[in-house]
Amino acid sequence: MLTLLPQAIIDGLLLGGIYLTVSIGFSLAYGVLHIIDFAVGEWIMLGAFLGLYLTAWTGWDAMLFLPAVFVVFAVVGWFTQPLIQRVTSGAKGRPVLMALVFTFGLALTFRGAAQTVFGIFTHSLPTELAAGSWYWELGPFMMTVPLVRLAGLVYALAITVGLTYLLKRTDLGLAIRAVAQHKDAAGLMGVNIQRTNAVVYSLYVGISAMTGVFIGAIISLNSGMGPDLSLFAFFVVVLAGMGYLPGVPWASFLLGLIQSFFLIFFNPSWTLLAVFTVLFLILLVSPTGLFRKGV
Amino acid sequence: MPDTVWKKCVVVAGLAVFLLSFPLLVRDAFLLRLFTEALMWIGLAITWDLIAGYIGYLNFGHGVFFGFGAYTTTILFTKANLPFALSLAIGGGVAALAALIIGWPVLRLRGAYFAIATWAFGRAIMQLALVLDVTGGPDGMRLPPFLNPHFFAYVMLALVGATYIVLWVLLERAPFGLKLKAIREDESGSLAIGLNPAKLKLQALVLSAAPAGLIGGVYAYWITFIDPSSVFGDLVTDQAVVMAVFGGLGTLIGPAIGAVFFLTFKTYFWAYLSDFQVLYLIILGVAIAACVVFLPDGIWGAVTRRQEGRRALRKGLSLNQRAAAPPAHPSAAGTSVRPSVRPRDGEEE
Repeated sequence: MLTLLPQAIIDGLLLGGIYLTVSIGFSLAYGVLHIIDFAVGEWIMLGAFLGLYLTAWTGWDAMLFLPAVFVVFAVVGWFTQPLIQRVTSGAKGRPVLMALVFTFGLALTFRGAAQTVFGIFTHSLPTELAAGSWYWELGPFMMTVPLVRLAGLVYALAITVGLTYLLKRTDLGLAIRAVAQHKDAAGLMGVNIQRTNAVVYSLYVGISAMTGVFIGAIISLNSGMGPDLSLFAFFVVVLAGMGYLPGVPWASFLLGLIQSFFLIFFNPSWTLLAVFTVLFLILLVSPTGLFRKGV
Repeated sequence: MPDTVWKKCVVVAGLAVFLLSFPLLVRDAFLLRLFTEALMWIGLAITWDLIAGYIGYLNFGHGVFFGFGAYTTTILFTKANLPFALSLAIGGGVAALAALIIGWPVLRLRGAYFAIATWAFGRAIMQLALVLDVTGGPDGMRLPPFLNPHFFAYVMLALVGATYIVLWVLLERAPFGLKLKAIREDESGSLAIGLNPAKLKLQALVLSAAPAGLIGGVYAYWITFIDPSSVFGDLVTDQAVVMAVFGGLGTLIGPAIGAVFFLTFKTYFWAYLSDFQVLYLIILGVAIAACVVFLPDGIWGAVTRRQEGRRALRKGLSLNQRAAAPPAHPSAAGTSVRPSVRPRDGEEE
């Protein structure tokens, strides 16, 4: 059993990379727009299907379509955001709760539409990377690193670094951080809140859709995969503390490690329960996440 | 205002007579089934609304309590050979206990955290029901059929009727409802005026879970087959959410109207368009989203708003005509309605 330990760690880190990509855009969107998007998993699913159809149509490698998927869904996000804005800025009712219910409805609609249009079968995205893997043997230990998972991790880190650069070094990032900190004050300082919100939302939707392409290549895709992905995005973001971006990578890797250890050393069907138990305990001890930095 | 009280009494009595005599008069098994199912959804929608509409917490794991009741009742009834009534009572108790255990940590979370935690909890429990042996895993469980639709119609009627009355007394007549609304309006504020939000929220969650569990138990015996996706699945919660949001949050009558309306639609949809099953999910989703955007107060909210507006207008006119001392102020309209009945006071922030 112990010989599998390095493999478990590596699997955990690679899995953590996937969770990182699933949740980083989501965390950003929460931090700035203060809405929980129940449709995060559905955006990922739709992105994966766009990738699938593009590859089937052209016959090229799925990875080549990442920019196209990003652009398409960024545009979709740009036009969806005003609707959410309308719900959250409504004078009546409880805007935050209503936004939750609204995205919940959005998620149901997407899932239903996907099941209608794409069917219920499981597909896989063809990519050259899927064939390759690295293999080491070191004494009693052996490790396999599938290239496509490694690519997923690299993509996750690249997105994280890119977002960090955007937020910390550019004027747009300054505006986003200002809006996240205090919307009204940022507006008084001349930040266009509407536009910043729309940019953040379209960034988030685009990143999520690109993630879908990776998940389709690494695991598989089907029209019903949305809720589980949303669930993991929520887990990560709650662990990290809602809206606390630097906590997201650590929480993702922790979650990936928990899951890979469970898969290898215990019963795979108990994985989700184990993850939920961890979440439960952490919420008990510190409701604002691992780092006590959530809002 | 004795006139409106009189009117209300007539309406309530008429409704009671209708509900009690409906199963006796109707010989059509389909209509009776629809009746029972409508009652079931009314029960689920109002218990969901107790948390969502009155405290402002979105419980996306409401189906869990329904499922707990269904599974506990089934296991005790079929495996331990307990009588049905006892199994049902224990099923409700288990649901309440689950609410207590889960609510203690989860209710400390606010807003979105709470919605996520309950949703995750629901999915985790469904996973648990899929892997355990005692629940039969994905194969589900069977109950001995008891083919008496009238029995189930009356049991469901008694259960949901009792739930409705208890909730109405507690929420609209007793201070309990006002306390919950205080938490909804401002949780820290309610703490400051000496309420104990943690305790109140837990009481409310247990109060919403127990009837859901009982309804689940009756449902299991009525349908005679349960599996994890039918009782723990998202669809149970989703439909309760649609009904409550569509009917109007923060009232009891709203979700009940929403439940009847939506169930009728659903039944006819399945009857005539069952080739397009997946469309149902789209319609459900669009209905939720559109309600939030266009009808944030639900049907009931829109109707009462309009009446309130008319009453205000009439009152204002009569005041002007009499040239009474107090000027006709729009907010004076509210005095004709009990403050506790109006769901959305003081939210013009």
